[in-house]
Amino acid sequence: MKSPTALEELIEALRCLPGVGPKSAQRIAYHLLQYDKTGAERLAQSLHGALQSIRRCAKCNSFTELELCALCGSPRRDSSQLCVVETPGDLLMMEQTLAYHGLYFVLMGRLSPLDGIGPREIGLDVMQRRLADGEVKEVIVATNFTNEGEATAHYISEMLKDRDLRVTRIARGVPVGGELEYVDTGTLAQAFVERRLL
Amino acid sequence: MVERTRQESREAFILHGYPYRETSLLLETFTRTFGRVSMVARGARSPRSPLRGVLLAFQPLALSWFGKGELRTLARAEWVGGQPLLHGEALMCGFYLNELLLRLLPREDPHDALFTRYWETLRRLVPHGNSAPALRSFERALLKELGYAMALERDGASGRAIDPAKTYRYDPERGPIEVEDAGPEPRVSGRALLDMGRDDYADPQTQQQAKALMRTLINHRLDYQPLKSRQIFRDLLAL
Repeated sequence: MKSPTALEELIEALRCLPGVGPKSAQRIAYHLLQYDKTGAERLAQSLHGALQSIRRCAKCNSFTELELCALCGSPRRDSSQLCVVETPGDLLMMEQTLAYHGLYFVLMGRLSPLDGIGPREIGLDVMQRRLADGEVKEVIVATNFTNEGEATAHYISEMLKDRDLRVTRIARGVPVGGELEYVDTGTLAQAFVERRLL
Repeated sequence: MVERTRQESREAFILHGYPYRETSLLLETFTRTFGRVSMVARGARSPRSPLRGVLLAFQPLALSWFGKGELRTLARAEWVGGQPLLHGEALMCGFYLNELLLRLLPREDPHDALFTRYWETLRRLVPHGNSAPALRSFERALLKELGYAMALERDGASGRAIDPAKTYRYDPERGPIEVEDAGPEPRVSGRALLDMGRDDYADPQTQQQAKALMRTLINHRLDYQPLKSRQIFRDLLAL
């Protein structure tokens, strides 16, 4: 087999992007080479730069260029609360609520017993070390409400059960402004199971 | 097989979903009428897909699908309900049940009784406490459905009735065989065998011996390829 030309190599490389199939990859490659060489240059350099400089925050496991990310380094955050999320995207969502002022831990995944993803594959051992500082008083588990997210939550609660910590789980139920008539059955059923005292 | 190309509102459980293409899911399902069926849920992983809150494992669903061959296409999924979401240890046990079905059940082989049994077992799993009796009884039902029904009444070598006071080893092909000494395979008391035959796991010794016995028998059927969901039990125990 002949070795791929630079163009073929580029098209093939572009296919690693989400949503980019062979056709789109070809279009992007031609576009970059034909109309936007400076843009291509910039893309190449920023990709290279990001790969070189971005690493994991020593405290929250999320992406940062420094030893500690801005959030973990901020004196204004409440260091007695630690919110555990699956991905940096989840962290961003939590931040947008403006309801939470504590710190985070990003697992970068979730337990999935049937895919062979166990506690070592996601950052659960790192998290246990993170909690050793003794400052955290409450761990808020904000993993997804999927079976895998729930399995992760269960594992975390078992992992922390003998520690002097409050372990909480974010609530689930009918969405804000939700009208029962339009809520999906599963959500409504679970909201009923997890009803609370008024 | 024209009549098989389109199916409407069939009772089913999702055993596992794998990401497929950009926004789809590849579902391994366990249906009452056709056994294990694989199907693609197109767009199920896209942010606003209405399927997101429905395609959950351990929930009874009514699935409609079409297509021929190994991989069908999901047309519709409806929530049946009545089964609380699993959590805690019950959820871990649920993963184990699903892995057993994924590994041992051949595709498109109907097992109506096992379907009923699976549903019943999900209802018996408890978040905190002892789910072992439910698991043991499901394991036995699964082996039976696969054509490896366990002999629990007679000695496989002598043909004599099982004596509750004697000790046995269990040969996967021949059944219980009376022994006097310890050995590499787990030893089971006659009493435990008779208890298992009645699905009675009240006795702690029966529970313990049944667990060891079922583990070796299932491992044998799996050609000694380890189950991934067992690892998480081990990790949880090691905490």
